[in-house]
Formats: sequence, C-alpha cells, structure tokens
Amino acid sequence: MKVPVLESIFLNPSPVPQTRDFRRVLVLGGDESARELGERLKREGHEVLILGGKDRSEVSAGIALPPDTVLERVNGFVGGFEALLRSPLGHSTERVGFIVAAQPGENIPKYSDYGLARSERVMSLSDLEAMLIAGEAPAQPRGEWIHVVFLCGLEGESDPLEFERVFEAIERLRKICLVQPHLFTRHVKVAAPGLERRYRQTREEGTLFFKFDGIGPVFEEGPEGLTMIFHDPVLGYDMEIVPDLLVVDELHLPPASLKPLLDAIPSAAATTPFLQPESTRFSGVRTLKAGILALGPSRGNFGPQGIKGDIEAAVVALKTGVIEESQSWLPSAPTVDPAKCTTCLTCVRLCPHGAMSFQKRAEADSASCMRCGICAVECPMGAIKLEPVAGEADIPGKIKDGLALAHGTKKLVAFLCSRSAARAMESAGLKIRNNLTPIIVPCAGTVDPDHLLTAFREGADAVIVAGCHTGNCASLYGTILAGERSSRVRLFLEEAGINAKRLVFTTLASNTPGDFVRAVLDLEANIGE
Amino acid sequence: MHKCLWEGVRGPGTALSENMKKDAVIIGGGVAGAWCASELSRLGLESIIVEKDPYPGGHVAGYCCKATDKCQRCGACLLEDVLECVEKSDRITCLLRSTVTQVNRANGFFNISIFQQPLRIHPEKCNLCGKCMEICPVPGALTRLPDKNCISLNEDSCIFFKDGSCQACADACPEGAVDLKVPAGETQVDARAIILACGFKAFDPREKPRFGYGLIPGVITGLELDSILRGGNFDPGEGEKKIKSVAFIQCVGSRDPKIGRNYCSRVCCGYALRLAGLLGDRFPGIQPAIFYMDIQSFDRDFERRFEAIRRKMRLIRAIPGEVRNGTDGRPELIYRGPGEERIVESFDLVVLSVGISPDPSLGALAELLGVNTNEDGFLGRGGDEVFTDTSGVFVAGAIQGPKSIEETVSHAIRTAGAVESYVKEHYRGENQ
Repeated sequence: MKVPVLESIFLNPSPVPQTRDFRRVLVLGGDESARELGERLKREGHEVLILGGKDRSEVSAGIALPPDTVLERVNGFVGGFEALLRSPLGHSTERVGFIVAAQPGENIPKYSDYGLARSERVMSLSDLEAMLIAGEAPAQPRGEWIHVVFLCGLEGESDPLEFERVFEAIERLRKICLVQPHLFTRHVKVAAPGLERRYRQTREEGTLFFKFDGIGPVFEEGPEGLTMIFHDPVLGYDMEIVPDLLVVDELHLPPASLKPLLDAIPSAAATTPFLQPESTRFSGVRTLKAGILALGPSRGNFGPQGIKGDIEAAVVALKTGVIEESQSWLPSAPTVDPAKCTTCLTCVRLCPHGAMSFQKRAEADSASCMRCGICAVECPMGAIKLEPVAGEADIPGKIKDGLALAHGTKKLVAFLCSRSAARAMESAGLKIRNNLTPIIVPCAGTVDPDHLLTAFREGADAVIVAGCHTGNCASLYGTILAGERSSRVRLFLEEAGINAKRLVFTTLASNTPGDFVRAVLDLEANIGE
Repeated sequence: MHKCLWEGVRGPGTALSENMKKDAVIIGGGVAGAWCASELSRLGLESIIVEKDPYPGGHVAGYCCKATDKCQRCGACLLEDVLECVEKSDRITCLLRSTVTQVNRANGFFNISIFQQPLRIHPEKCNLCGKCMEICPVPGALTRLPDKNCISLNEDSCIFFKDGSCQACADACPEGAVDLKVPAGETQVDARAIILACGFKAFDPREKPRFGYGLIPGVITGLELDSILRGGNFDPGEGEKKIKSVAFIQCVGSRDPKIGRNYCSRVCCGYALRLAGLLGDRFPGIQPAIFYMDIQSFDRDFERRFEAIRRKMRLIRAIPGEVRNGTDGRPELIYRGPGEERIVESFDLVVLSVGISPDPSLGALAELLGVNTNEDGFLGRGGDEVFTDTSGVFVAGAIQGPKSIEETVSHAIRTAGAVESYVKEHYRGENQ
C-alpha cells in the first residue's frame, strides 16, 4: 500500500461547497469520443467544457472547447469542483459539478521488447494506421507481393483491441496492394464481440498465423535486410522471413494526463496508474471520489468499445449522482470537534474517498463521504466522530447490550463489515447462535482498537474482526487497517498476559457463509474451555 | 429480507386485482436484471423483476468467491451488493417463480401477463432446520437449493398436488413456514419498457461426447465445480483416492463454428484460471493443468495477473481429442504434445470450461416481442448494444452475448440509462 502524497492538498485547502451546482461538466478528452460525450450530456441539459479536443468546427452551442487548454489542478467536491486551467493566455478557474476523464489511452510501441528500432521497414501499428488512412503505400515490395509481418503479443500480453486493429489494418492493406500478411503471437485474443469471426475470416483470406509458446523468432540483419528466423511450431522446421514491412504492436496504457485528477484524491496513489480502484465494488465508471468519473482507458477498460461503451454509463452516473445528493437515507457524515482538531491532516491523507477538506479545521464533505469511519479511528486527537444511525446505540453501547443478553460459556463478539461478513453471517443463519454478539460496521476500517478492548472488558471470551478480502474493500484499505489494528491489539493482549488467540482477524466475502462459520468454530476451539 | 423480494408469498385473498403500472418490466432476476432495476430505481423509475426461479441471482447465485490471499476480481460478490439494493428500494418489486405468459402493446404500454407460482416455503419464516425434508416421503419433492438459503418444493412430485393426501411437511414445520394451499396467481402489469435480462444457457457438454461428460466419472463442468466450492463441499479426499491433479479443458462449446459457436465465450479463461488458482491455493497438494488454444485477457492489468497465476499451474497448448475411462478408474486425456506426439495422461478430476450459449427456450418470448437475434444467436443487436429492433424492448447482460460479471454490470447500467432516456423521451410530462 503506497502512502498518499499530499502536495497538492497542502497547496490548496478546498472548502466544502455551500451550494452545489451539477449543471456544468468538465470533460477531459482528446478524440471524437469526448465530443460525442459532450453532445450526449448537452442533450441532458448540461453545460459542457471539453479540454484536449482538436477539432473545433463541429461542436454545437452549449459546448465550450477552449484551445490549447490543460487541467492543472482540481480542488473541491462534487457539485463544486474548482478546476484550475492553463492556456497560452494564462490561468483561469472554472467551477464545475462533475469531472469526466474521457481521454484516449497511450499507445506505446513495443520496439524495445523485440530489440527493434523504428526504420523504413519497421513501424508501429499506429504509424501503419496513419499511412493507411492517408492512402499511402506503407512499404516498397521486394517482389510482386508485399510481405507484412505483424508482431502482436509475441512479447508480453496483448489484448482484443490490438487484434481488432491488426485485422482492420490487414483488410485495408488488402484493398490497396498485393499483400501477404503474417501474424506472430503467443495468444490470439478474441474475447470481444465478433472478434473470433473476424479472426477466422482473416485467416481464411490468407493471413498466416504463427503461435509460439517457448522461444520465438530471432531478428537478424541479413544480406537482404532484417530477417526473422524461427522454428515453425506447426510444420516443425526452421524458417526465415525477410519482411517488406514489420509492424510492431503497442502497449495500451491509461492516459498520461490523469495526474491532476489522481492528485485530487489523496488515496489514489494506491490505484495508480488507473483512476478507478482495483476493487470490483467500483462499478461502471465510478472512481474513489464522488463526481469524478473514469471512462475507457482511464479505468483500465481497453476493450474495442473503450470510451464509447462507457459514455452511457457516465450519463447515468451523472444523473444518479445528482438525484442521490438530494436523498438523505445515509447516516450523517462524521463530525469534527473544532476544539480538538489541530488540522494535522491525518484524515485528509487517509480518507479513501477524498472526502475530507480543511480550512481552519477538518471537515467531511457529506456528498463525497462513504461513511467508512476510517477518519474517526485514525484521528490522533480523537476529534472526529461518526454518529450511529438514528435510534441505534454507539458501538460500545451495542457491545454492552449484546453481551448482557448473550448466553453460553464462550461469549463471542464479532465485528462484521456490512458489505461482506455481515451478509455471510446472515446467509449462514448464525445470528440465531445466542453466544454471538454481532456488531455490524459500515467498513472494517471503523473498528477501533478501543472497541476490541471494550469487548474484552465487557466480558467477551473472544473477538473476531471480519472485513472484505484485500483488494475488494470498498474503502480501499479499510480491511488492511482493521487487520493491522487487530495485530497491534493482539500484541497488547499478550503483554497483558491474555491469550492472544482470543482475537482473530479474517477476511470474507458476502457469498462465503461457510468460511464465516469455520472462522467462528475455529475461534471457539482455539480458546479452549 | 425485505418483503418486496418475496411477493411470491401471498396469502389467499391478497391477489393483485388491478393492473400494476410500472416504467419497466425486467425479465430475469440475475445480476443483469437486478442491476437494471437498482439503477432504474436510482434514476427514479419503478420496475418489476420477473424471475422464474424461487430465488433471485441467476447463475451467479451458485458461483464461489475466488479470492486467495486477495480478491481475484471475479465479481461474484457484486450479486449480494445489488440484491441488497433491490431489497431496500421501494421502487422495485421482485416476483419469484414467475414467468411472462402474454404481452400485448396498446396505448403506449406493454400489457404483460405474469403467471406466478407461490413460494410454498416462506423464506423469512424458514430457518432451514430441515424437518420438512426429513419427513417428506417423496425423495426430491423438497430440495435445499445449494447454498441459496432456501428450500424449494417441486409440485410435480409432491403428493399434495396429486391427491391432497399428504401435508406432512406443513405439519412438521415448527415455524409454520410451509403453506401448500396458496393458489398460483396471475398478475397483469402495464409497463413503458421491457428489459430482457434472462442470461445465458451454459453449453451442454453432452453435445461433445468425446469429452466424456455424463459418461466418465470424474468429468464435471466449471459451473459444477464453482457450485461445489461455493457450498464448501469440495473434498479432495484422503490416501490413494486423494485428488492431486485437476485438468481444465478450455473452449468446450466456444470458438467452434462446426457447432454454430463462432465466438469466444470471453469468461472461461478467467474462471478456469481463477478456479485453478483457488484449488491450488486452498488445497496444497493439488496440481492444476489448463488445456487451451489461446489464453484470453480477462481483466485489466492482465499481464501482471497472468504472470502471478501461471506459476501455480501447468499450461498446455492443446485441446484433448478424447477423454476416456482409464484402467485405474481415473479419466484419461489424449492430446498432442508440442512435437505433435500423442500423449495419454491421467487426471483425478477433469473440469470442462463450458461456454456461454444463447438460451433456446427464449425463442418464444423473442418471437412474442418481435426481438431480433444477432449473428451469434443471442438476442438484440450485435456488438455490445443494449437496443433491439423493437422500440421499447431492451436487452441487458449475457442474453445479448457473452459477458463477465463486471461487463454485465456495465451493460446493465447502460441499459438502464437507455430505458430512462426512452421513457423520458416518449412519455415526457405524462403521469403514470
């Protein structure tokens, strides 16, 4: 887990917005997809500002496309982001409700992976595509036919997008010249709609496919030019090809221009290079921070549909973002005691959702806060409190009440993440066990070492803390923090002469009730009579 | 559980008499359907889910968590997430054991008739004590659905539904959760839009007898292994019978134009590699092997993931020509080695990675709605479109083509968006 960097936040404390305006949307673009998104959002009544677009001619009114402008920094929260822009004319600040990352990804040719260099007869797939679009012949044939060799995932892994591009290039080449295409790969990637069909068609139309498992071709500078020497895996003998044109595949990376957005979320250091975290809980185009959306490559979606496929999901996310802001079914966001807060910024640094702001003191933005409670536990001054849902007791109260009602010789207290372990318990039907006091917490990151000690003090024989599996936590590292805290408390118990096996930490999924039962039974067995 | 999930449980006399009016009827209550409903609800639209099974969740309800020391991003737990949203929302109604029997279109509404079998066993009252199953004289009339937390009654074999002479289960239930007398009902719903989210049919490996499924002991499907693991019932055994080697055979019913499957099912490499990794991790001693044509990228950052997982298993580029019963009682695989040599190798367990197929039983529904079939035989338009050629009818998830759970979620979000736009566009300003 990387430690979040704070630079940009120190530079710019951003206040929680007093009023929110969701109408304006900032779209970071680069190709026609951003404009398509802009038009789509405009129809939904948004004002759109697109950065990075090249062509200004076809944009309709209501969409601004300032030339040569880049995003430098983002402050603020959903409904009230302040975007600092830089253009040749100087700096300006735009207030927007949402920010959408819709830049195309970076394509990096894999020359160095193959030990090749760009030359007249060696080029990247992007270079070839540009020549084909311009209608240029890509290479002079040595004979009647042009022998074109495509390297596609011969070193490193490729993806369906790359194969779709290669098939498209072969089809275009076929239209303008006599071409014999060869494709060298390890795995033909066809896991996209219609791609298997296209692969077969390409093969039937004469492209030769060579698949390698072990050692692939060697490139040598021969008398006729660059020569590929290889052992044909199917025919079983050594072969040589002198390609008229060698096309090198590309690595697909997220856009380089995500940095200002990653900087706007302190915890995003743990998700880099993508803007969307690893956890599958971030569905569609959601990111860690409310109001910032990631489309296509910026969320690691390099499918052939890429950004285009995510446009509608973004439109939905903007609509639901606006609607949900007006609803108040969530428990209230944590409160900060101004007398205790020293603005040490621990909460700002650790909030997984980029929801903490600070001016004179820290403050949680209620629209961005996901109520994981990590800030409240980690605040060294004890200044932050996450209030329980109205009508419910606080955690120490629940422990006390539960243990007072518990039966049996082995009284257990279980701290359960609401997203995983609590549901596993429910499915397991273990709530009917009368020696178990379940304390359901929004995230395992809410579990304070004090809570664990309180449980023992109030008479628990053993305590179990159960969070989501690493990488699955909806608050990024809530479950990791819970594990670390449990380890610390175990050391403390040992020093105090208490059997440390009385406290266990485990990770579970909502669909593994059996694992929950096993953890409880193991714990009961471990603590003896 | 929230009662809205269980409207199948209705006492006599509470049948819904007048037509319900909804923005959308969603046929299928798996991840795709539930996610559409949840997203529509967040957009302020009301929907009703029609699910044929006595539980929501579809295929994914039988999938296990593939996490090893960390989450493997299989997405199976997303089902529990979305079902909780469905339960909480007052804009979603979920009808279980229900099927659509008739659809008419008039005055801007689809008028949909839904036939509803009641849930005979009340899921909230039932605590799975199993007394009903112990006392039932007919084997198979009551079944506990594997890890779905419900007991289901099969009317076809139950004596009560033959002659009414036996209601031992109802008498035995200490919670009063069994009610055999609730009548089946019919519900009429008027909806602006229809979402087809009925999912896929797993390829039946009996169509490819050379893999020995159903003929040779020790040959199972990936779905079956998933379900066994989910139920915590995978037992590698002891001593000589201990399962030490597991072979996964990829592309069973995928990438095979000869049987009309000229497409890649897109999810099998992902599930096989995750399952193989999980077996190796959880049961030390088990050596998995994957027989494949091409390993497909199935997740972002695939190269790093693949490097991490491939060391835990053997990868063999060959699809076995035959699986046969070995002399030692273990299944034997016959395949070609790297030099085209014939290799015969025994495994303790063979797992067929069956592909995603269109569900032929949806043909009648598709015809009723005038919904087109795309070139791979799935419903709706090609690519990863959410539209069909019939206005007002949409598709979500694997009914439209092979999709992973995560891709299904993205697809369902887009379907919900398209439905909302359609409803707003066509019925702006109208009250329901």
